[in-house]
Amino acid sequence: MTDLLQLLFAGLSQGAVYALIAIGFVAIFTVSGVINLAQGEFAALAGLVAISAAGGGMLLPAAAVLAVSTVAIVAVVMERLVIFPVRGMTTLVSLILTLGVSTGLKALMLLIYGPDAKGLEPLFPGAFDLAGVSIRYQELLILAVAGVVALAVYWFYEKTLAGKSLRACAEQPVAARLVGISLSRASLLSFLIAGCVGAIGGVLASPIYFTGWESGLTLGLKGFVAATLGGLVSVRGAVLGGLLLGVLENLTAGYISTGLRDAVAFFLLIVVLVARPSGIFGRHAEARV
Amino acid sequence: MSLEVRGLHAGYGRLPVLHGIDLDAADGELVAVIGANGAGKTTLLRALSGLLTATAGTVRLGDADVTGLGPERLARAGLAHVPENRLVFPSLSVDDNLVLGGYTRRRGPAAERSRARDRALALFPRLEPRMRQAAGTLSGGEQQMLAIARGLMAQPRVLVLDEPSVGLAPRLVGEIFSALGRLRDGGLTLVVVEQNARAAFAVADRAYVMDRGRVVLEGEPATLMSDPRVTAGFLGGGFAAEVPAPGPAAPRPSAPGDGGRR
Ligand SMILES: Nc1ncnc2c1ncn2[C@@H]1O[C@H](COP(=O)(O)OP(=O)(O)O)[C@@H](O)[C@H]1O
Ligand SMILES: [Mg+2]
Repeated sequence: MTDLLQLLFAGLSQGAVYALIAIGFVAIFTVSGVINLAQGEFAALAGLVAISAAGGGMLLPAAAVLAVSTVAIVAVVMERLVIFPVRGMTTLVSLILTLGVSTGLKALMLLIYGPDAKGLEPLFPGAFDLAGVSIRYQELLILAVAGVVALAVYWFYEKTLAGKSLRACAEQPVAARLVGISLSRASLLSFLIAGCVGAIGGVLASPIYFTGWESGLTLGLKGFVAATLGGLVSVRGAVLGGLLLGVLENLTAGYISTGLRDAVAFFLLIVVLVARPSGIFGRHAEARV
Repeated sequence: MSLEVRGLHAGYGRLPVLHGIDLDAADGELVAVIGANGAGKTTLLRALSGLLTATAGTVRLGDADVTGLGPERLARAGLAHVPENRLVFPSLSVDDNLVLGGYTRRRGPAAERSRARDRALALFPRLEPRMRQAAGTLSGGEQQMLAIARGLMAQPRVLVLDEPSVGLAPRLVGEIFSALGRLRDGGLTLVVVEQNARAAFAVADRAYVMDRGRVVLEGEPATLMSDPRVTAGFLGGGFAAEVPAPGPAAPRPSAPGDGGRR
C-alpha cells in the first residue's frame, strides 16, 4: 500500500512535467497544425540555462526566470525564422523543419554546456514522511507550480480576448482572419506560450531528473505522447495525459521492471492511435484548446 | 460608405476565375449578386475582403483604395465579410463569437462595443437566450444570424454576405433578409451574394447577375425578374425556380474552413 502511494506520488509529479510540455505541443498544433519536435529541447535548454546560472552564483528564482525568458526568446525567434516564412505549412513539413531546429538546439547545448548531465540544486532541499510515503519538497513544488501554470493557461484560453482569438484561429482560421485576427501573430503567440510552459517544465524537472543536452528527446517524446493521449487539441487532455503517463510509468517501473519505464509511452501511443485517434479524454472532435 | 469595384481579376493559383468584374454599391444601398453555382460569387467576395489577392483591377471603399489589403486591414477599414457556410467558432459561446466579431474594435471604448452588441441582438433577438451556448450547437438559421451579428460587431460600413439563405427554411430566409433590409434602412451598405434570386430580389435595390466569372446583367430586381434570360435560367442553374424546400432547418455542424490551411 505504501509502495503504491509512493509510486503514485512520484508518478504525479513526474507527470506534471510531461503535462507542461504537452501543453506546449497543444498550444502550437491547434493554431497552425505544426508539431513542434523542438518542444523537448525548450525544456532541456531551460534546465541547462538555470543550472549554469545557479552554478555561477545566481539566486535560484532569478536563474529560473532567466531560463524561462531565454527559452521564450528562442521559441519566438524560431517561429519567425523557421515557421513563419513557410507558405502553405503542412504538418509533415513542420515535422521536418522542427526536427532540424531540435537538432540544431542539441548541438548548441552540447557546445555551450558540455556533454555531462547535471542537476539543479532544489529550491527546498530534503524530504518528509507522510504515512510512510517519502515526499521530496521539490516534488511538491513541481505539482504546485505545474498546477498553477496549467490553471493560468486554461484561464487564458477561456477568459482572455487573446486566448479566445487563438481558439478562433484553431477552429476556423478563415473566419478568424475575417474578424481581423492575424494568423501570424497567433502563431507567434502560440510559440511564446509553448516556450514558456516547456521551459517551466524543464526548470522544475532538473533538480530531480537531471538535465543534459540530450534530455529534450525523452522529455519531448513523453510530452508528445501525453498531448496525443488528450487528442493533441486540448489543454485539459494534455494535463490528464501527462499525469496518466507519469503514473503508469512509475507503476510499471515499480511493479514490473525499471527497464520498461520508457516503453510505457510508446505502448500507450500505439494503443491510442489505433483505438482512439481523437484521444482518450476527447469530448467531441470540434472542441479545441 | 460606397464600394466600387473596377476590372477585378482574381483566381486560385494559375486558375483565373474572375474576368474583370465591375460592381458598385452606393452608400446605404443593398446590392444583390446572383448567379449559378460556380459562377464566381464566392471568389468575388474573397477578393473583396482580401482573402484572395486580386491579379488586376481596383477595389475602393469610400475614398480609399483598398486593393491588395489583407483581411485584417480590410476589417479595420470597415468591410465585414459574412462567409459562405457561416463559419462560426463552434466550441466558443455565442457571446464569445460576438466578442471576437468586435476584435478590430478591441482598443476602442467599451461603451461602443456594447452598443454594437445591443444593436446586433436587437436585430436577431433569437440569439439573446443562447448567449452561453456553444455556437456549434445552434440551428443552421441561428448560426447564420450569429455569423451576421458577429460581422456587425466590427461596426462595418460595408457588409458583404455569401449565400445567407443556404439550407434554411423559407420563414428563416425571410427573417434574415428582412434584417438585411433593416440594416440598409439604417444606412449600411450591403452586398449579398445569392443563388436564391427570389429572396434576394425581394429586398435588393439593385442586382447583378454573374456567369462564369463575368457580370452579364445588371439592373433593378423587378426588371431582372421579368428578363427572359433570368427567368429561363439560361445561366445554367435554373436558379429562378430555386425556392428553398419547406421544413424545419436541420441543425448543421459548421463546415470546415474554406481556404484555410487545414
Ligand atoms: N479553393 C479553390 N481552389 C480552386 N478553385 C476554386 C476554389 N474555390 C472555387 N474554385 C473554382 O472557382 C470557380 C468559382 O467558384 P465560386 O466562386 O465558389 O462560385 P460560386 O460561389 O458562385 O458558386 C469554380 O469553378 C470553382 O471550381
Ligand atoms: Mg459560393
